[in-house]
Amino acid sequence: MTINDSPSESTTTAPPDEHLGQSLKVASDHRHAVRMGRVRRTGLQLSVLMVFLAVWWLIARMELVNPLYLPSPGAVWDAFIQSNSCRAISETRTVCGEQNYYMWEHLIASLQRMAIGVGIAVILGPLAGFLMATVGWLNTALEPYLNFLRSLPPLGYIGLLIVWFGINDTSKNWLLFLAAFPPIVIATINGVRGVKQDSVHAALSMGANRWQVGTSVILPSALPEIIAGIRIATGFAWTCVVAAELNAGIPGIGGLAFTSGQQLQTALTIACIIVIGLAAVALDALIKYLGNVAVPWYGKA
Amino acid sequence: MSFSLEAVSQRYITDSGEVVHALADTTLTVEKGSFVCVVGPSGCGKTTLLKILAGFLKPTGGIAAVDGEPIQGPSWQRGVVFQHANLYPWLTVRKNVELGLKFRNVAAAERRKIAEDCLALVGLAGFEDKKTYELSGGMQQRTQIARVLANDPEIILMDEPFGALDALTRERLQMDLLKISRERRKTIFFITHSVEEAVFLGDRVLVMSARPGRVVLDEPVRISETYGRILPGKELRSTPEFVELRDKIADQIYESQGDAAR
Repeated sequence: MTINDSPSESTTTAPPDEHLGQSLKVASDHRHAVRMGRVRRTGLQLSVLMVFLAVWWLIARMELVNPLYLPSPGAVWDAFIQSNSCRAISETRTVCGEQNYYMWEHLIASLQRMAIGVGIAVILGPLAGFLMATVGWLNTALEPYLNFLRSLPPLGYIGLLIVWFGINDTSKNWLLFLAAFPPIVIATINGVRGVKQDSVHAALSMGANRWQVGTSVILPSALPEIIAGIRIATGFAWTCVVAAELNAGIPGIGGLAFTSGQQLQTALTIACIIVIGLAAVALDALIKYLGNVAVPWYGKA
Repeated sequence: MSFSLEAVSQRYITDSGEVVHALADTTLTVEKGSFVCVVGPSGCGKTTLLKILAGFLKPTGGIAAVDGEPIQGPSWQRGVVFQHANLYPWLTVRKNVELGLKFRNVAAAERRKIAEDCLALVGLAGFEDKKTYELSGGMQQRTQIARVLANDPEIILMDEPFGALDALTRERLQMDLLKISRERRKTIFFITHSVEEAVFLGDRVLVMSARPGRVVLDEPVRISETYGRILPGKELRSTPEFVELRDKIADQIYESQGDAAR
């Protein structure tokens, strides 16, 4: 056997097109495998949903449970459609949505409260965390109270907030703010404390003053943790929305869920619960996406 | 700019309450334009010394001064090159290099030009708009050096800057650094644990011993003067003077380590 016959030689003498074709094939095979994996996973998850809906439908169909307690999936879908449309209830009267608002208006109302309460926490939380992490005595003075506030279930103080700020939106905004503020402050403190000392030293020896170190080094270094804190805070605040809307929560998706339950419109209650859950997932995905846009270096450097 | 240490010492208390004497009374003068290399075993106070000179650490005893003025804190006139590149991943390579000038309010157009010049000097022309985490370790280290050079400090303090690099990259960067230090007449204080690197780069080598850290040997390097010209790297390393000095310093380190163990 001569050297020319060796397999390595034969591959090196193969026309370049063939090489390219081969590596393209490898790449496409890989993509195919990834896609298949994704399809299989989604398929598995969807089949769980299908089985769940089928069992639910079967129980409702066989009337094993009083439909007042467990309406059928179809009834829930109808309630969802009805709450987003208008219907004539007599020759002269038409009713739109539920409790005088479409369901999407209820959802928007809740999201608006979130935007105000959580939004203020997103602005003030990093500021407070930054101050507490950099001013030693401030942290010593405030940390126990911050932990106290964080450990309080918001349901515990909503009554007090209503007494202080009235039954309308102000008390709800306060509740969401108080729910979202501590996790963001704590995440910011951790982020600022975790900044590598050499990163700060490098900036100082390049001529940065304190302000420049804060804005150009510490803030961006802590950003991944701050965003993680905002994600946790938003999730937590959203779970508080229902609690915040127990009193005078119309319009509001939590208020609608609560009121419809009280009025035994269980199909509508279930529809609300599903919408609340889907909105939570969407909110989380949105923040995760914004985080990836804001911190493209995360995990790479 | 020259700098001097007057009986500088450093003690600190560990978390377990133990007092560590990191640096014994050290007196030292480094002239403007000299390239001083510091070698010694780990824990001998090399980095403590550098931190004092950088202004990151206030000595617990003695006075560290630059041009006779006591060091009050970090300053852009004492640039620091760290062992790890410490680049800011949210900035591009160019923005990292421009950062010091930006801190000092240099106009944007001028910053841009200086950054490009410095990146070209370290062989990174064309990488200006890359993300820092897309660069190899050697390129990141070059970027860090460019970032310090852009600020044009009088003194450059370097803490084992090539320690984490492969041999080939290290040798290239050593040559580049020698070229830069000759062209720009900087005062360089260079910490390394490689005796070979110290003798190759420095015109003066300090050997330190551990606990408490102190300078046990202060040796000028005059190989190029002996030959009357600057020798290329390979030739220099094989001269008898180089080998002799390298062995002398290595022996001194072993000896002082023996002392520390006793």
